[in-house]
Amino acid sequence: MAKDGDNFATTRRKVLFGAGGLLATAQLPAAHAVEIGREQVTDAPVSDKTQQRQPFHGLHQPGIVTPRPAAGMVAAFHVLAKSPTEVERLFRLLTERIAFLMQGGAPPQLDDKLPPADSGLLGPDIPPDNLTMTVSLGASFFEQRSWLAAHRPVQLSRMAASPNDALDADLCHGDLLLQISSNTPDTNIHALRDILKNLPDLMVLRWKQEGSVPVLPPKPDGSHETARNFLGFRDGTANPDANDKALMDRIVWVTAESGEPQWAVAGSYQVVRIIRNFVERWDRTPLGEQERIIGRRKASGAPFGGKVEADLPDYAGDPEGTITPLDAHIRLANKRSKGSDANLILRRPFNYSNGVSKSGQLEQGLLFICYQADLEKGFITVQRQLDGEPLEEYIKPIGGGFFYALPGARDERDFLGRTLLEAAGHQMAGTRT
Amino acid sequence: MKPSRILSTSLFAFAVLAGSSGARAEVSPLDLVGPIADYKIYVSENLEKLVADTRQFTDAVKAGDLDKAKSLFGSTRMSYEAIEPIAELFSDLDASIDSRADDHEKAEKDPGFTGFHRIEYGLFAENSTKDLAPFADKLMADVTDLNKRITDLTLPPEKVVGGAAVLMEEVAATKISGEEDRYSHTDLWDFKANFDGSRKIFDLVRPLIEKDEGDFITKVSANFDKVDETLGKYKTAEGYELYDKLSEDDRAVLAAAVNTLAEDLSTLRGKLGLN
Repeated sequence: MAKDGDNFATTRRKVLFGAGGLLATAQLPAAHAVEIGREQVTDAPVSDKTQQRQPFHGLHQPGIVTPRPAAGMVAAFHVLAKSPTEVERLFRLLTERIAFLMQGGAPPQLDDKLPPADSGLLGPDIPPDNLTMTVSLGASFFEQRSWLAAHRPVQLSRMAASPNDALDADLCHGDLLLQISSNTPDTNIHALRDILKNLPDLMVLRWKQEGSVPVLPPKPDGSHETARNFLGFRDGTANPDANDKALMDRIVWVTAESGEPQWAVAGSYQVVRIIRNFVERWDRTPLGEQERIIGRRKASGAPFGGKVEADLPDYAGDPEGTITPLDAHIRLANKRSKGSDANLILRRPFNYSNGVSKSGQLEQGLLFICYQADLEKGFITVQRQLDGEPLEEYIKPIGGGFFYALPGARDERDFLGRTLLEAAGHQMAGTRT
Repeated sequence: MKPSRILSTSLFAFAVLAGSSGARAEVSPLDLVGPIADYKIYVSENLEKLVADTRQFTDAVKAGDLDKAKSLFGSTRMSYEAIEPIAELFSDLDASIDSRADDHEKAEKDPGFTGFHRIEYGLFAENSTKDLAPFADKLMADVTDLNKRITDLTLPPEKVVGGAAVLMEEVAATKISGEEDRYSHTDLWDFKANFDGSRKIFDLVRPLIEKDEGDFITKVSANFDKVDETLGKYKTAEGYELYDKLSEDDRAVLAAAVNTLAEDLSTLRGKLGLN
C-alpha cells in the first residue's frame, strides 16, 4: 500500500522522529511545513519504536527469551552449502547480514547502473525496529553432510505427525530455519529479502509463514497482559518467566549437563507448528464449551475458580475435574504437578492469517513456536498429553518442524555455527577459539 | 476424539440437565429421552445399511469388478455420511475409514492412507482394482467394528443435538469445495446424506421448541428446503450428477445455506438447555 510513497514516507519519518529531523524541518520550504501538520491519505503511519534495538552478540541467540514483538515470521530453507568451507561461508555470511540488519544503518551506495544493494523498502537508512533473527538447523542439515552426522544434537529428529496432524509436505521441515521478529511485518520482509539477495547460491527458500500479535495499549501501572490468539483466548499465561536466568538455564538453554554435544551448549531446541484454527466453527461454539475446552474464562483469562488471569488453577484440590475439566487444554498441557516441571517449555507464538480455503473458509490459526533444552521432555511430551484433547475438533496442525537454535555469536569476531564447525574438525582462519 | 472424552462429557451433560440450569428451563431432560431413543434407531438402521452396502462394495473390489465397484462407491458412503457425528466419535476408526490423502504427509502414498478414499483413489484415479483387496478387507473390518462399538454406546444428548450443526460444519469446512470425493466426484451424494442426517436431528427435537421458537423453525426448515431443491436439480436415476456439473451459482446457494444452517443450528443445544 505504501510502496508508492516509500521515499516520501521515509522523509517524513525522519522529519518527525530522526535526530536530524528537526534541523531538516527548519530547512523545508513553506509548502512542506504546512503538510506536516495535516496528515495525508498516503502518509506512513508513525511509530516511536523504529529505533528499538536488540543486541545480536551474546552467549545465546536473540529472539528466544527476547519479549515477542508484534510481527513474526519463520522461513525454512534448503541449504546447498555442502563442504565445511561452504558451510563456513554460509554461517559467516548469515552472521554478517543479521548483525547488520539488527543494528540498522545505511547500505552501501552502488553505481546506479547496477541494481541497488538493498531492496529499499525501509528507505535508505534502515531502522533496527526491534529486529531479531534466530538461526536454527533441522535434522536433515546433519544427515545430508556426512562430516556433520556425528555432531547432530542428540534429540534432533524429523518432526513426526501427531494423530490430529494433517501435515502438508510443502510446509514442513527444512535444513535451516530463520525466525525473524520485529515491530512490523515490513521490517521482517525486508530482512528476509536481504538474506535471499545475499545468499542465493547457499540456500533456497522452501516455505515461510508470517504472523502477528495483537497490540494492546499500555496499562497505567506498567504491568503487562498476555496476548490473545485467534480463538480469542489469552495464550501464554503460564509461560515460564524469561527474566529468570536460572529458570531459563534449566528449561530453555542446553547446558554442559544436558548430555548434548559440547558445541551445542547455549543453544536450544526449537519447535515450529502451523496450527490451523477452524475459526468459523469456533465462533459458532457456545461460550461455556469454549471455556471448558480451554480451561479458562474467555474475557478475563482467569482459570476456573480464579478471578484474574494470574490466579493459579488448583488441580490438586480438583482431582475429579469438577472445576477444571480433566481434558481442558491448559490442564493436559501443564499438569502443575511436581513431575510436570520437567515438561515446561517457553512458547513464543504468533497468530497467522493466510487467505481463504478452497471451501471458502478463513485460513488462519497459530504459528506456534517454542523453545526447550530437552525436546523429548518438552514439546514431545506436552503434545502427547494433548493428543485426543477436545480442542482437536477446532484445530489442525498442517506444518512445521523440529530445529536446533545455534548458540549465540559471542562478539564481533565470532560467528553463528562456529562451535559446530570446530567440533567437526574444520580448520578456520581468524576466529576466536 | 477419544471415547474417554465422550464418557466424561456425557456425564457432565446429564449432571447439568439434572440441575436444570439451562437457559430454557421449559425443556426438561425427560423430554429428550424420546428423541434420543428415536435417533438411536435411525443410527442403527444406517449402520445396518452401511455394513450391508460395504459388504457388496468391498466384494466387488475384491472380485476385480471395476465398473460395479465404481457404481457402488457413492451410495455406499451415504449411510456413513448421514450419521457422521456419531461415527466420528471413535477417532481411530474415523481416521482409518474416512481420512483423506491430505490428512497424511505423504498423501496418496502414505501407508496411513486407508479406507473409502484410498479405495476411491485406486478405482477412479488409477482406474483399477489392483492391490485394493487389503484395503477392502480393512474397510469391511472397520465398518463391522464401528457398528459394534456404536451399538454398545449410550448416545450423549449434547452430541446428538450438536450433531445437526456438526454435519453442516463438515460440509462448510471441507466438502463444499469438492475436495472430499476428489477422484470420483460423487460429492453430491455425500452432501445429500449430510443434510438428511442433520435434518433428521432437527426434526426429532423440533416438537420440543415448536411453541417458543416458531421463527427459528421456519427459517431453518426453509434453508433445508432450499438445499433439497438445489440438490434436486442434479438428481439422476442412480443418484446424483458428478460434482463438476454443479454450477457456480448453485454452489454459492449451497454454501450460503450451509453457513446459515451452521450458524442457526449451533444455537440448537442452547435452545434445548443442553451444555
